[in-house]
Amino acid sequence: MLKPIKLFGLFARISILNEVQYRANFFLQVLQSSLSLGTGLIVLSVVYSYTDNLGGWSQAELLAVYGVFVLMSGLIGSLVLPNMWAFMEDVREGRLDFTLTKPEDAQVLISVRVVAIWRLVDVVLGLIVLGVAITRMGLEASWWLAFAFAATLIMGMVLLYCVLLLASILSFWFVRVWELMEMMQSIFQAGRWPVGIYPDWLRLGLTYLIPVAFAVTVPAEALTGRLTPELLAGTLLFTIVALVVTRLIWKWGLRNYSGASA
Amino acid sequence: MSTNSITVKDLRKTYKVPEREAGLKAAIKSLVARKTKDVHAVDGISFQIEPGEIVGFLGPNGAGKTTTLKMLSGLLYPTSGELSVAGHVPQKREREFLQQITLVMGQRSQLNWDIPAIDSYDLYRAIYGIPQEQFIADRDKMIEVMQLKDLVKKPVRNLSLGERMKAEMVGALLHQPGVLFLDEPTIGLDVTMQRRIRAFIQEYNQRYNATVLLTSHYMADVQALCKRVIVIHHGKLLFDGDLTQLVERFSAQKTLVLTMSDMNGKTPDMAQYGTVVTQEPNRVVLRVAKSDAPQVTARLLADLPVTDLTVDDPPIEEVIESVFDAPETSE
Repeated sequence: MLKPIKLFGLFARISILNEVQYRANFFLQVLQSSLSLGTGLIVLSVVYSYTDNLGGWSQAELLAVYGVFVLMSGLIGSLVLPNMWAFMEDVREGRLDFTLTKPEDAQVLISVRVVAIWRLVDVVLGLIVLGVAITRMGLEASWWLAFAFAATLIMGMVLLYCVLLLASILSFWFVRVWELMEMMQSIFQAGRWPVGIYPDWLRLGLTYLIPVAFAVTVPAEALTGRLTPELLAGTLLFTIVALVVTRLIWKWGLRNYSGASA
Repeated sequence: MSTNSITVKDLRKTYKVPEREAGLKAAIKSLVARKTKDVHAVDGISFQIEPGEIVGFLGPNGAGKTTTLKMLSGLLYPTSGELSVAGHVPQKREREFLQQITLVMGQRSQLNWDIPAIDSYDLYRAIYGIPQEQFIADRDKMIEVMQLKDLVKKPVRNLSLGERMKAEMVGALLHQPGVLFLDEPTIGLDVTMQRRIRAFIQEYNQRYNATVLLTSHYMADVQALCKRVIVIHHGKLLFDGDLTQLVERFSAQKTLVLTMSDMNGKTPDMAQYGTVVTQEPNRVVLRVAKSDAPQVTARLLADLPVTDLTVDDPPIEEVIESVFDAPETSE
């Protein structure tokens, strides 16, 4: 159980030490992240210049949703997505063979390889936005809130990991699945608003198909005191099911894998 | 302690390949009812390799070499047949088995191109659980032998092909595997680099009594490293035995090189003795059928003022080529 964490630590350290050499990337990321944050905030303020309430969410609460969205984008962008791109490339170029001849679980190996540290800029920005939102809401800190928020955030990350890995696994059959990954990233953009404001069919899709609801809205609900213990339990159950299903499909995909030149 | 032997019994791998005719209509039809065709990539081969042997695995492109290597390293499930490598069944991919083997593919890199090789080595240390002291000693020794020095600290993408391959070999052997599968480890390298890689493989083989199965298009590799060769063609075993026997068995011709003393400007008609490869005033190279060689030699010695005569086998490349060019007759 400890070895994956140890491996992740080592992979992360090596990634970070090497990325640090390219400082220009850091400034580019800061620029890009700030621009996108600025646009997001402007849109938010425009919306609230017409109304005080959007689907039951006040402006400060919506700022919290946006903060979670930025935070989650940063986490996924630095920890999950780069691994998925690397994995798909390995399948395409037949390099996965090397991973499969290692005496370690291949899913673990392909999932912890890369950390894109500069994307952590979004994590920092997201935390700042969240801080401002929490102050504006006049939220009283409590252990339950902190725990519920952290737990839902982690589960949201795990769910997004599952969905992104499932999409990547398709590369065992269809060598090019980039478009699908791009599409999912666009859909994820819908998460900047609480899913409750969307029509039913879209909300269902954003909950179970691409779990944007679990990844962004639920942690925001936890933070704003909307989370019930039932919803927390349901999220946990859904996360476990998703992990198990992903694992099974991974194993199935692996059995079908035969190498690019075979 | 498991031995490093390899046993292959009646190994087969059949791929189902979708088959469809050209055209949109056929494409739509194939969505519903897919026609498939069986391709026998490996079609019933058997061999046994003892611990410490270096065996050359030869065959033209598409003969089934890589497919066999992939099955031996546990990457592909055999369609049928029995496999045993270092006492394990490869396709079960047990940790103890994976710990025992290594796979090197000259066409692909297992090192991460964005980071220095030495960092990748660290990752392998963690993945294989190599004891720190042994790891550092082995790594530094191999880096020295390969003359890599500071190159391992540069991102792999900045290395030349030869340097990269040397770094790959080091990375592939850090966990002291007992069985090595080397698929074209010297492809595209210059002669000096090829020699260095060869020497490295030989040294490793001797030190650890490791078993090596090697494919290469360079006969120099095979001649330098392998006493024994296994030749496959169209997924079937064509030859398994000593390299010298291979030449013996598959070359139907001998090369005669004769040097003559001055013939006062006369040029004898050499075509009556065999196929003339080159003819200079005093030196002639002839190609004759193997069975005719003794008789032709005797006639040459009787007819001409021969000062020197040698009988050679044709170069091994040509022998191999002639084996592969031959139509599929050996069943």
